[in-house]
Amino acid sequence: MVRLFKTKRGLLSLLAFATIWFIILYYFISSAADIVNSNSFESMASDLFGALGLSSLLEWPVSEYAIYWLVAVYFFPMFALSVCSDQICSDKHRGTLRFLTLRSTRTEIILGRYLGQLFIIAVLIVMTALATAVLASIRDLSLLLASLQLGAKLSFEVIIVVMPFIALMTLLNTWVHSARFAIVAAVLFFSLGPLVIAFINYQFGQEFYLNLLFPGEQIESILSQSGVVASQYWLPLIQTLVLLFASNLVMKRASI
Amino acid sequence: MSLIIDVKHVTKRYGDKIALTDVEFCLEKGAPVALVGPNGAGKTTLFSLLCGYIQPSSGSISVLGHAPGNSALFGRLSALPQDAQLDPRFSIATQLSFYARLQGMSSKRAKHDTARVLEMVALTDASNSQPSELSHGMRKRATIAQALLGSPEIVMLDEATAGLDPANAKEIRAIVSEQAGDVNFILSSHDLSELERLCDQVLYLEAGQLKQHRSANIDDSVRFITLRMKQDYPEIIATVLQLQGVNQVTMTQDKEYLLTVMNGQDNASIEMDLLLLLQKNNWLYAQLINGKTLENQLF
Repeated sequence: MVRLFKTKRGLLSLLAFATIWFIILYYFISSAADIVNSNSFESMASDLFGALGLSSLLEWPVSEYAIYWLVAVYFFPMFALSVCSDQICSDKHRGTLRFLTLRSTRTEIILGRYLGQLFIIAVLIVMTALATAVLASIRDLSLLLASLQLGAKLSFEVIIVVMPFIALMTLLNTWVHSARFAIVAAVLFFSLGPLVIAFINYQFGQEFYLNLLFPGEQIESILSQSGVVASQYWLPLIQTLVLLFASNLVMKRASI
Repeated sequence: MSLIIDVKHVTKRYGDKIALTDVEFCLEKGAPVALVGPNGAGKTTLFSLLCGYIQPSSGSISVLGHAPGNSALFGRLSALPQDAQLDPRFSIATQLSFYARLQGMSSKRAKHDTARVLEMVALTDASNSQPSELSHGMRKRATIAQALLGSPEIVMLDEATAGLDPANAKEIRAIVSEQAGDVNFILSSHDLSELERLCDQVLYLEAGQLKQHRSANIDDSVRFITLRMKQDYPEIIATVLQLQGVNQVTMTQDKEYLLTVMNGQDNASIEMDLLLLLQKNNWLYAQLINGKTLENQLF
């Protein structure tokens, strides 16, 4: 938290986040209700959302959240990859980690940094959900309660989605020595990973379900929000636990 | 005497390169210990192993009865690792208070202890400065301050005075001398005269092997006197050799001589005799040292 609010880099990240979300809230979400409810758009939106399997989103009483959900569920994982790219690597590179390990265990450092990043991202998610609720209430005050309920539910869902993404950056941080390299490694993981899996499946002629290793694998299935699917919770939670366990394992054996 | 460090058959490899080979020694509570050796001898590797930053390839290490890195050592073992820097984004007081809190102090006590250690290293005025605003020497002193937080039983300082100006280096040596009664210091430095002044025990590493593990004040049947002269006097060796009890005089380096003296009652006043001889010949001396210099002991 201190790093985010008291450092130049942290404040710049916050400013960029605020600017992006101002644009999203002002230009997309605030006008969502008008667009979705307009006669000319209604049929097109129904066709489009129906084709994507998202027609249930149109049934939400607070249409702002339909747009919010579609943006947040993709934006926050990418944002987490960037903002959480320096959990321990710069401390490791600088030698600051050596001061820390004389006073706390490596497991505590890994967990502390992970939970700190998760807390920050969770606060930002809740803030954007609240801002969406405010926009919906300005349009129609009677929507306030429904907005808060839906906002809380969606915030929770987005937080669950981002958890393994932050854990992935924790794991990468145990290997690399710079935030930039961590981001590059994450990009390679998400771009080359599916190719490697396709190659393995092709070579062995059977499905190994290795795609379950990738954070965000469940996003497509939860996008429509048409019902609670168990995998929308257990998959990211298991991924998070596995990634944190691996981070701890690597960190314990790492030379610092 | 209680054992504080016990190193048994420790070998450390980095790939094909062997940094330490079968190093074995134990240290007891007491005066500061010097860790000496040429560049690349394995001093920093040994420091890192003792602090738990790296794991040995084979062998075992026990620090205060625990494996390095064990949480039981938090607050009991502290160190100044070579080249480690504080976070440039926070003030040094903020960081030191944070470390103190990690050691289990309350917020109030952490602030108080931070002020204490910063005063010890003469950085009170810079406590709210970020490391990036400080000079190299001041940053070094700030990192030394973090090693003094709380009441550590062992403090390892790797090249603590490297890069410090003479006045500040002297101040750090004074801190080590003052605290040496309560704290077990392990110091590595290339400044042998500094280690000579501070340390009784010496660990000498060379090419990853522990060559010597000895006390600097071993009582033998012979003793040594080191004489440093201000000028060259060609006949000094022959003249000093005539003194009763002086067995051998060797020139160790320019204007420096090592006298080997047989221990015995007849030779109790050998220093006085030597000074009288110098006065009689109008020879100016610079320094008279009881024993060998650390440099002469090691090289």
